[in-house]
Amino acid sequence: MSEKIFRLVLHLYPSRFRQEYGDEALQLFRDRARDETGVWPSVRLWFDLLTDLVISLPREYGHTRFDVAGASAKACLDGTPTFFVFDTASPGRRPLLLGGLLSLITLVSFPTLMNEFGNFRPPSGWSFASPGTYQRQSGEPQRPASGSKQGVQSPRGADLTLDATSRHRIIASAIASIKQHHIDPLEAERAADALLAHERQGDDDSATSTEEFTRLATNQMREATGDRQLELLYSQRAIPERPSGPLPALPTAYRDEMRRVNCAFERVEVLPHNVGYLKLNAFPDTSVCQAAATAAMAKLNDADALIFDLRDNRGGFPSMVSLIAAYLFDHPEYMYCPLENTTAESWTHSPVPGNKLANKPVYILTSHRTISAAEEFTYDLKMLKRATIVGETTAGANHAANLHAIGDNFYVATVEVRAINPYSKHNWNDTGVEPDVEASPPDAINVALKLVGENLHVK
Amino acid sequence: MVDISIIDHIMPKQKLSPLPSAAFQILLALVGEDLHGYGIMRNVAQQTEGRMRLGPGTLYSSIRALLEEELIEEVDHPRAPSVKDERRRYYHLTSSGRKLARSEAERLADLLRVARAKNILRGDYV
Repeated sequence: MSEKIFRLVLHLYPSRFRQEYGDEALQLFRDRARDETGVWPSVRLWFDLLTDLVISLPREYGHTRFDVAGASAKACLDGTPTFFVFDTASPGRRPLLLGGLLSLITLVSFPTLMNEFGNFRPPSGWSFASPGTYQRQSGEPQRPASGSKQGVQSPRGADLTLDATSRHRIIASAIASIKQHHIDPLEAERAADALLAHERQGDDDSATSTEEFTRLATNQMREATGDRQLELLYSQRAIPERPSGPLPALPTAYRDEMRRVNCAFERVEVLPHNVGYLKLNAFPDTSVCQAAATAAMAKLNDADALIFDLRDNRGGFPSMVSLIAAYLFDHPEYMYCPLENTTAESWTHSPVPGNKLANKPVYILTSHRTISAAEEFTYDLKMLKRATIVGETTAGANHAANLHAIGDNFYVATVEVRAINPYSKHNWNDTGVEPDVEASPPDAINVALKLVGENLHVK
Repeated sequence: MVDISIIDHIMPKQKLSPLPSAAFQILLALVGEDLHGYGIMRNVAQQTEGRMRLGPGTLYSSIRALLEEELIEEVDHPRAPSVKDERRRYYHLTSSGRKLARSEAERLADLLRVARAKNILRGDYV
């Protein structure tokens, strides 16, 4: 039945397209229909086909018209005026009827479909990110409107007006979500009390836009709890929740890309004066890149000092942070990671057999782009006084909070792991990791080399 | 009626400048292996993590444009796993196609460098 419908749909294309690619298009449909069974994949298949139809059909006819125009010009040059039609045959009654019918169906169903799919949440497992990685959820849009300074309001959201009833409904849903998900019941209670008290006092009355309201509520919760990751957000686009349970398999594209870029180890070399230099642009997953990391550290094993260049590092996986940090200690060392509960795995597997780097001076180059897992590496080594940080304050994002939908396109961000931070209540989120020695990113390497020289010379 | 061979002869080629996203993805999908239409569609979906699923209209009009520009070519697949597969048309990336894909990737890398320099990628990383 589906194939028959698709055959009819194909008749909407110009005959030239059908002659050239009709059979292949039909075969492609059969292949997809065979491989994509079930309700959701079937819906997605037809959604794809209809979207493709809307996009490609005008282009195909546009292309055909262009061809005929060219042909006409050529024929006139020969001296014989000729009329041409777009196709080699007049459209029959059936294609015209079918075209009309499909146009009507599309016109009627388009607003409904847009409404449904605009807020559609893909099944769990589609999202690549999951607890235990620093990576953002693949379907996550740009940072939604929130209490943080990074908030970006979507155009439609800006027009949404909140009255007392809707604010009350959102506050009630937010409280329920915080009490359900927040790791600390006492803090959850304090946040809930603050939201209700401010509402009672009329502090929210002027907040009629989503942007104002999310900023206000976020500040109220943060003031009451000191938890700077607790946040109320608004996003016009649906944000998929992180799937719980074991990490889904890494996409093949990620593996291929990591192999192509040598696992983000851009440069591994020994500079003059026996200074080991490692430019690392991500902390890739150890299941893909352990060998690359081991090889890189082995190459630098005889260096007298180490420079980790994280100026372009865009984050990654805590497991790689721990793996590389293990080379810098002669004993297991605790690596604070805000994404994971503190367990035995929070300690590095030091000492690494054959490693000579455990007591060598370490310098980390940073920029304002250094982010997430790279900030964990920088923060921990700075707090442990194991590295000198040279460069700029880092980006200030740890991506530790989980987002939970509470209805009306509002979300609550809560941290749901109990990670022990032995240094302070707050980590680098929002504030970034400050350098020990400030330097602009282009100068950071020279400043670090100078410091290395002074350090080695003194010794 | 017009002789179709005349149209083919004088038909202006579909323009590929700037290179459309679908055409670029198809070139990337064909790096390293010859594929038929469905194989290309699957590779593109995989390399974009499901964000781009080419429908037949877009796929084959892009393939036609790439063939016209000689960026890809049709090849006989020597090791078709089944009789059914033998009937499929396989496509191969030509050296001009590879060159164009490389220059497009370099252009995008330049753009990315600019975007990074302007710090609009905050929090958006892989």
